[in-house]
Amino acid sequence: MSFPLLSALVLVPILSAVVVMLLPKQRSELHMPVALALSLLPLALAGVLFAEFEKRASFQFVEISDWYAPWGMSWHVGVDGISMPLIVLTAILVPISLAASVNITDRVRLFAAMVLFLEACLFGVFISLDLILFFLFFEAILIPMYFIIGIWGSEERIYAAVKFFLYTAFGSAVMLGAIVALGTISSRETGFVTFDYLRLLDVTLTGTEQYWLFAAFAVAFAIKVPIVPFHTWLPDAHVQAPTAGSVLLAGVMLKLGTYGLLRFNLTLFPEASVDAVPIMATLGVMGIVYGAVVAIAQTDLKKLVAYSSVSHLGFIVLGIFALTQGALEGGVIQMINHGLTTGALFLLVGMLYERRQTKKIDDFGGIAKVMPIYAGLFLFSIFASIGLPGLAGFVGEFMILVGSYASLPGYAVVAASGVILAAIYFLWAYERVFTGKITKEENASLSDMNAREISLMVPLVILILVLGLYPKVLLDRISPSTDGVLERIAATTEYEVPESALPLGGGAHE
Amino acid sequence: MNRFDMLSETVSWIAVAPQLFLLLTVFAVLGYDLAARPKSKDVHAFLTALGVGLSGVAVAEQYRRSYNGTLDGLTSFSQMLILDGSSILVNGALIVVLALGLAFAWPMITGMGTYGAETIALMLLSTVGFMLMGSSLNLMMLFIGLEIGSISLYVLAGIAREKTLADEASVKYFLLGSFASALFVYGVALFYAATGSVQITAYFEIFQGLVNTKPSLLLVSLALMVVGLLFKVTAAPFHSWAPDVYQGAPAGVTGFMSAAAKIGGFAGLMRILYLGFSQLADTWQPLIAAIAAFSIVLGTLLAISQEDVRRMLAYSGVAHAGFILVGVASGRAALREVMFYIGVYSIQLVAAFGITSLVSGAASSGSARSEYVGLGKRSPFLAGSLALVMIGMSGMPVTSGFIAKFGMFQVAWTQGFAWLVLVALVASVAAFFFYLRVVVDMFMRDADDDTEVAVGYPARVALLSVGVVTILLGIRHGLLLDFISKIL
Repeated sequence: MSFPLLSALVLVPILSAVVVMLLPKQRSELHMPVALALSLLPLALAGVLFAEFEKRASFQFVEISDWYAPWGMSWHVGVDGISMPLIVLTAILVPISLAASVNITDRVRLFAAMVLFLEACLFGVFISLDLILFFLFFEAILIPMYFIIGIWGSEERIYAAVKFFLYTAFGSAVMLGAIVALGTISSRETGFVTFDYLRLLDVTLTGTEQYWLFAAFAVAFAIKVPIVPFHTWLPDAHVQAPTAGSVLLAGVMLKLGTYGLLRFNLTLFPEASVDAVPIMATLGVMGIVYGAVVAIAQTDLKKLVAYSSVSHLGFIVLGIFALTQGALEGGVIQMINHGLTTGALFLLVGMLYERRQTKKIDDFGGIAKVMPIYAGLFLFSIFASIGLPGLAGFVGEFMILVGSYASLPGYAVVAASGVILAAIYFLWAYERVFTGKITKEENASLSDMNAREISLMVPLVILILVLGLYPKVLLDRISPSTDGVLERIAATTEYEVPESALPLGGGAHE
Repeated sequence: MNRFDMLSETVSWIAVAPQLFLLLTVFAVLGYDLAARPKSKDVHAFLTALGVGLSGVAVAEQYRRSYNGTLDGLTSFSQMLILDGSSILVNGALIVVLALGLAFAWPMITGMGTYGAETIALMLLSTVGFMLMGSSLNLMMLFIGLEIGSISLYVLAGIAREKTLADEASVKYFLLGSFASALFVYGVALFYAATGSVQITAYFEIFQGLVNTKPSLLLVSLALMVVGLLFKVTAAPFHSWAPDVYQGAPAGVTGFMSAAAKIGGFAGLMRILYLGFSQLADTWQPLIAAIAAFSIVLGTLLAISQEDVRRMLAYSGVAHAGFILVGVASGRAALREVMFYIGVYSIQLVAAFGITSLVSGAASSGSARSEYVGLGKRSPFLAGSLALVMIGMSGMPVTSGFIAKFGMFQVAWTQGFAWLVLVALVASVAAFFFYLRVVVDMFMRDADDDTEVAVGYPARVALLSVGVVTILLGIRHGLLLDFISKIL
């Protein structure tokens, strides 16, 4: 048997968390460095995963063993082109978040352990091919995140943590009901209950069942994304969370929702998905416009980035439900891009907060003079987020817009306004914070980024550039899997995938 | 069967071995205490540990024989008792709960002079009663078991009455508990009137083949017996005594009291419903389901507004009783899941109440939430344990609580109680609120003082084992589920 890479991905962070907790309490100078060093192990594993990943549609690195057979549960894990990039993204962001958490001085061991436990759960979500296993990790993520926000957050942290927890737990409960129902339905033909994703693909569902189950899954994922009417937990959670929490929340956790929609909704309930396109696309476009408009009005830098996430995630939802090759690939790559750019932005906002203990836009002004490197990196990240050609954000949004124009032209046109609005809110904020004369005395003595802070940004900047200039490196790996999803929809419903006008789709079908 | 058959019948000692060991321990502890009047409780500890240990070995032997299929005679004592899978599992759960309960009660036992020995004796006696209840094949036997268990608990509730406000708790428990027992015994009388027998299986045997017969007298008798037992397990709307009693009773024994009564009550309930009235399942299933839903909703809603952790646990116990009733309503198919839930929940319950006794004092009444503020810094081990238990009770994944709930949901859904599952799901989200509130107090607020809470050695071991089991069964739940299904 080959090395169980995926199991190791989950186990290593958990064991690391235990190790960190067992460090002697007095040697506080060791806690964070050890945690940081240990978090490089999963990164190495993710590197191996990326290197050995083959460009094909089916699941790879598959491990399957009984978990509890009478209930139809199994430890069935594997990755494809949709989950692999997200795993690598997680593995990259976790060490960066830990390294960024120098201002955490209270209960450092617990903090590091929680971040590592969170990492294990995130990996678990992306590799699970058993619905119960998926749910287990999906729900377990709430525990570390709840503690991270609630213990190490800002003033309103308890409110934010509880709100975050209850909102997402409600969505999960609805999904758990649907999973139980799906299990029962699966036994209808064979007499055996199964929660195995690959076997559930073969279960025939009636139309009504598809609609109900689609709705239940969609509610859970919509809250997680968040899609607009369900988004109110997000600004609170982001603003109150410590930097590491925000980075991981925006960078990876929001993608759990879009990942779930793509992985489970589209494939398990294809008929309902096709019929739900107008609703989901409307919600996606609403999110794009609403998030952007609200972002313009923000006075708090962190909240602004949070609402920009709502807007960008709207693009991903639109990309997923446009049901064309280009849009779907764009949706997946946009998940990665958004993780990198928003991660970078939250890191930068966090650095500013550490210096001035405020995130209010009005408290700054003209600080580019004293913090030139910072201003440069901030502008770079903003451009990446807006989608300047050559940077990562461009590829995803462009593919989504062009791809969805083929199937949903009206939606695509409205969605395009999101790009313009993004330029408005980001550049306006940049102008107020960085340009002009220094308006406040306190800001005159701000120090620029130190070597540690710059080194945190370097990997993100490099990746943003690489994905912006040469997205093929990811698209080649993503497209077989996203094409597979569309083929399944085309095969099981009357929907015909429009010939995409987009040649960007990578080398897989050249 | 006449008198002589009864005498000549070979008595199956293995059927009552766990109970006998506990009884002998009761006599030994009380006798030693009376004769020697010792100052320390070291010998008591030795005797109790020995007795409970032997009793546990006896249960293990029962399990082994049942697993090998060599159990000599399922029924014994003139068909008064039955030793089958579920009675063995009930015995096992009770022994575990007793051991944990003693560990948490020990600071209280050592601190209360002569009453210490009585506390031990009463805990052991009530375990004997509930064990008999789980093994009964005869309604009178079941009633006797119920009373042995309950009366011991009434006394336990008031055992520290000089120190605390336990008077009210004890009297309330006694009056309402006796009322419930009276209902039960009235039900038994009507059962006898209808069938001419007090064997649980009488109805089944008499009316075999006459499935459509639903004698009204029997229905009334069933209702009375069920209501009597629902009192004991604190199902709504028969729960009103629970918060007052569990708040007022001395903290050290509350966990044991609530867990043991629940195990015994559910064991009796399943005996009667599954064995005695399986033919009337269509009649009682919807009713039990309704009570389950009501308990879950009411328990959750009332728990949200509690400021006292022990009252909160009492109301959450109402909701948990509802969850277990979801399985009971689903019929015998859910037996494995019900047993798993009871096992998992009862040890968490003992641990949770045990922690309240450590935080607020072993003989205290009540445990205000304010006492938990900042506990995460003052006593990380204790706070971590309580957080884990709370997360487990709330049914979050990676703990046994999630698996227990998931099992209930799955079996209930397949048995056609989808609506009940949905009610339970919504309620469990609301329940997060009050479980997490304790976690918030402990970890996210800072206390003014930084006095560490002392945790004795037995309690430390007990908490550690509950914690390990809670996580282990959340990941490898097959260990316990297989253990259960092998002898069911």
